[in-house]
Amino acid sequence: MSKVPSQESSRNSTDLIDRYLQAVRFWVPKTHRQEDLLAELGEDLRSQIEDKETELGHPLDQTEMAAILKRCGSPMMVAGRLGPQRHLIGPALFPIYEFVLKMVLLWILVPVFIFIVGPVNLANSGGNWPSAILGTFGDLWSGLFIAAGIVTLVFAIIERTGSHLGSEIKWDPLKLPPVRQEECKPSLLKAVCEFGFGCFGLVWLLLLPQYPFLILGPAAAILKAGPLLHTFYLPIVLLSIVGLLRSAITLAKPQWTWFPVSSQLLNSVFLLVVLHYMIQAIGNVPSAYPFVVLQDAVRDSPKYFKLVAIVNVSILASVAFTWLGVCIAAIIQTWEFLRYLRKRVWGAQQPASLGAQ
Amino acid sequence: MTNGTKGGPEILENLKMELRRGCLIVAVLAQLRIEQYGYTLRKALAEDGLAIDEGTLYPLLRRLETQGLLVSQWREEDKRNKRFYRLSPAGEQILNQLLEEWQNINASLNKILQEASL
Repeated sequence: MSKVPSQESSRNSTDLIDRYLQAVRFWVPKTHRQEDLLAELGEDLRSQIEDKETELGHPLDQTEMAAILKRCGSPMMVAGRLGPQRHLIGPALFPIYEFVLKMVLLWILVPVFIFIVGPVNLANSGGNWPSAILGTFGDLWSGLFIAAGIVTLVFAIIERTGSHLGSEIKWDPLKLPPVRQEECKPSLLKAVCEFGFGCFGLVWLLLLPQYPFLILGPAAAILKAGPLLHTFYLPIVLLSIVGLLRSAITLAKPQWTWFPVSSQLLNSVFLLVVLHYMIQAIGNVPSAYPFVVLQDAVRDSPKYFKLVAIVNVSILASVAFTWLGVCIAAIIQTWEFLRYLRKRVWGAQQPASLGAQ
Repeated sequence: MTNGTKGGPEILENLKMELRRGCLIVAVLAQLRIEQYGYTLRKALAEDGLAIDEGTLYPLLRRLETQGLLVSQWREEDKRNKRFYRLSPAGEQILNQLLEEWQNINASLNKILQEASL
């Protein structure tokens, strides 16, 4: 019998299968076998569609293809079956359990400890970093174990009582989300903008010593840079040059997909180091005004004391918020970098592309 | 005396599943004496009365391959990449032993059933 599915049908089936596999991928455990199993599942589905077309003698429409996927099972159920054998929590519930566990541990508990418990411990220990870090790690471990235990217990109870039954019924293959284009090359517009703003920022920074009004505005008549700004001016200029080089390399070598993710992370780490030393240095500065001081001409005018104090506190608050922002950015960039690495390593091991048919 | 039928269908399903599980491995190994890819293997098993879903077959094939009983290879056929499986020499030995064991169990079971019916 001849197998002549039309091009349109082939495109439709590939699209629907890719959407289905994308949904399964979301739930399936992330191991080195993941892509391999998905590739094989995709091939099986394509063969089923091809067989059905041969049997019916016409290309399948979307509803007929959806029926095949529906018979195969909801993405979550299929992912559960594809994963390793489980005893406490069965395959049907395991993907949701894994998802909830990750959400609770990685996206709720860890940030809470980093941004709330950690700073509180640091404040309680009177600025003693090693003791605060050790204490936070200790609390974090206990928190992780307790949270994981509670989540596991809840899911084990659901598994035993069978409360999840029925989750298989409500799903429609035709409503699966479109396939995401995950591996985008760095955007040209973004790289150009970064480079443009980087040039502008560097020129602005280099002009600051000669033209302080560029940062202080009219207040430059009574204020000037303090000891900390003098000390950290050079590292900030260097960081700016490195950032500019980063944008230039991204523009010149768009095929280096590894470069933006890794260099962005490195940039954030260097910035964090500079900010850390800056914050640490505040306590060692003999002057009460570390960032800006009064010009010599008005140094003894009491009416400007309040102004210089407000400006210094504002800069300190900006530095602290920048530190917090860069910390969050570094965590997100680390996550993106690890995702990129995992994709590279597992992608290299995968023998067949999912969509290449 | 209770008839023990509470949850009867569920118990029966579980027992049938346990019984099938071991048989499926033997069936898969036996089918793979001839090289096949996943879908044709599934079709062949279903035609012989042992239907198996995708989510069960592919992890089982991986497990058997990890145990060294199968060898596999991705190859292009009909312009599509397919993973072909076949029995390894070690798998062939194990299959023969399993078949022998199965025949022994079958003979014992028949004997027990005959004795029980007397």
